[in-house]
Amino acid sequence: MSYEELDHTADIRLRVRSPSPDSLFAETALAMMKIVYGESRPGEVRRTIELSAGNTENLLLDFLSEVLFLSEVEYIVFSSATVHIMGNSLRALVTGEPFDPERHRGGTEIKGISYSGLRIVKEDEGYVLDILFDV
Amino acid sequence: MVDTMLERVTRLSEYEWEVPAGTVPGMRVPGRFFLSDSLYKSLESGAVQQLANVATLPGIIRYSMGMPDIHWGYGFPIGGVAAFERDTGVISPGGVGFDINCGVRLLSTPLTTGDLDHRRELIETLYNAVPTGVGAKGPLKLSIGDLEDMMAKGAAWPVNQGYGLQADLEHCEERGCMVQADCQAVSAKAKQRGMPQSGTLGAGNHFLEIQVVKEIYDPDATKAYGIHPGQICVMIHCGSRGLGHQTCTDHLKVLEGATKRYNILLPDRQLACAPLSSPEGTAYFGAMAASANYAWANRQMIMHTTRTVFEKMYGIDYESMHLVYDVAHNVAKMEEHSYEGKRIAVCVHRKGATRAFGPGSPDLPSGYAKTGQPVIIPGSMGASSYLLRGTTTAMERTFGSTCHGAGRILSRSAAKKTINGAKVKTSLSREGIIVRAPNDSAIAEEAPGAYKPSAEVVRIVDALGISNLVARLEPLGVIKG
Repeated sequence: MSYEELDHTADIRLRVRSPSPDSLFAETALAMMKIVYGESRPGEVRRTIELSAGNTENLLLDFLSEVLFLSEVEYIVFSSATVHIMGNSLRALVTGEPFDPERHRGGTEIKGISYSGLRIVKEDEGYVLDILFDV
Repeated sequence: MVDTMLERVTRLSEYEWEVPAGTVPGMRVPGRFFLSDSLYKSLESGAVQQLANVATLPGIIRYSMGMPDIHWGYGFPIGGVAAFERDTGVISPGGVGFDINCGVRLLSTPLTTGDLDHRRELIETLYNAVPTGVGAKGPLKLSIGDLEDMMAKGAAWPVNQGYGLQADLEHCEERGCMVQADCQAVSAKAKQRGMPQSGTLGAGNHFLEIQVVKEIYDPDATKAYGIHPGQICVMIHCGSRGLGHQTCTDHLKVLEGATKRYNILLPDRQLACAPLSSPEGTAYFGAMAASANYAWANRQMIMHTTRTVFEKMYGIDYESMHLVYDVAHNVAKMEEHSYEGKRIAVCVHRKGATRAFGPGSPDLPSGYAKTGQPVIIPGSMGASSYLLRGTTTAMERTFGSTCHGAGRILSRSAAKKTINGAKVKTSLSREGIIVRAPNDSAIAEEAPGAYKPSAEVVRIVDALGISNLVARLEPLGVIKG
């Protein structure tokens, strides 16, 4: 997983780098899980997410919000994600393990994913994303 | 562009600074913020940029304002206050935040320091009784009907169920209920998140703290608020949990579309907004109010649990523990204020800011009418918290608003890198402050060194007169989410 934490006083701002938009989306979702739950193990719980949005940035925000929603209401800590983007739609398979209060209370809640400073840029080696999570 | 922001700031007086119109294209009013020399040193250009961005929103009047705890957030800066004229103005979730009605309440007890034996056991009992941290479930099994009733009635819902006293409601901002709540504007997803979480503290900077009243600055006000030196109090800081977070997420998306539909040009997408009178603006306002009510019910539930713990451990009456007051930190409200010699209806957004209504204002309980509204300012973990009172000056200058807390100076990652949570815990314990949290990194992130000194923040609001100091409280034990 290739991401770094950028400076931000109140919240958590990440820079994620990945070769393709598909893997960029997947890695960002897993980075988000790590912020909320700390370390997790691979698991057998699977969920499929299908979404459409007006543009790539909104597609990403909707996808991340959905991962956060599923994780919270179904008490699942996702440790793996495969994303296929087709235009302004996506289909993702996310897998993980059930939430275990003994092991998964090492992080902090993400209250929301902000549009502020959201940026997806294509560079020579792949894609770079800057994103801010309200914690 | 961001780097030039601080250069545009001009100083108006000892504590008042201006961000001139034009700093960001399309500013309709100037930005104003309140800081001392020492706090100015930690001002980020990102916060100034955000203050200036808010000034571009349609219908904003007077200034885009920043309280002394101003810092870089998203959308509005944290510590941001802005009022929008009812007929021409907008409402924006970026001016409220994801944690709708994150707020704080202060509960007084008849105990004094000498009565508080078995303190470690008290903290442990409270930690086990109040669900905290990621993945915690609340004590209530709510049906969808119960949840909707709670969103409609706010703090009155748990009180009517036996989780509190009627007198508690008088001592909440808005009496713990925004009447504009519209449960139908809250999505099924938000409700699904909210159902298991009522009565949970959450994580991050949310806390429950046992405090002692250490210093009195205003004897008349403390008398009105029922506070005396050496008294044990409990401060509860939390918000609307996943229900509010999801409501913000859902409506942000709708309002982003509305922004384009109403031809509103924005410098930051997080400021997505719609006219107050539009269907989209009305729906967000109704959903936000419903979430705010859920937050008041949440703090009421946690206070009920706290009272029962104290009742059992110290043999005191439930009724002898009084709610001093409950304030919202993240909310938008329809209020009436004086502007250019007239009384006008405005929507005041307070994002990391506290309402500070002065003496004689409507919505104050009769016992506080002469004193003004209690303003509760939590310090960072281990630092002093303060009780202040709202003033006429706040009504005249800041649409009845003041600061909400200390305000961060160190990012969470920097805090984790430079501060050792275990050491903080030990050093606080040496000072007599017991900290209970799910993990040490949560302690490092919220350590006192990561925040502006709360004493300096309240000193400025007191000097400006936008709220006046009443009492200082010191922590004895903290439960962190």
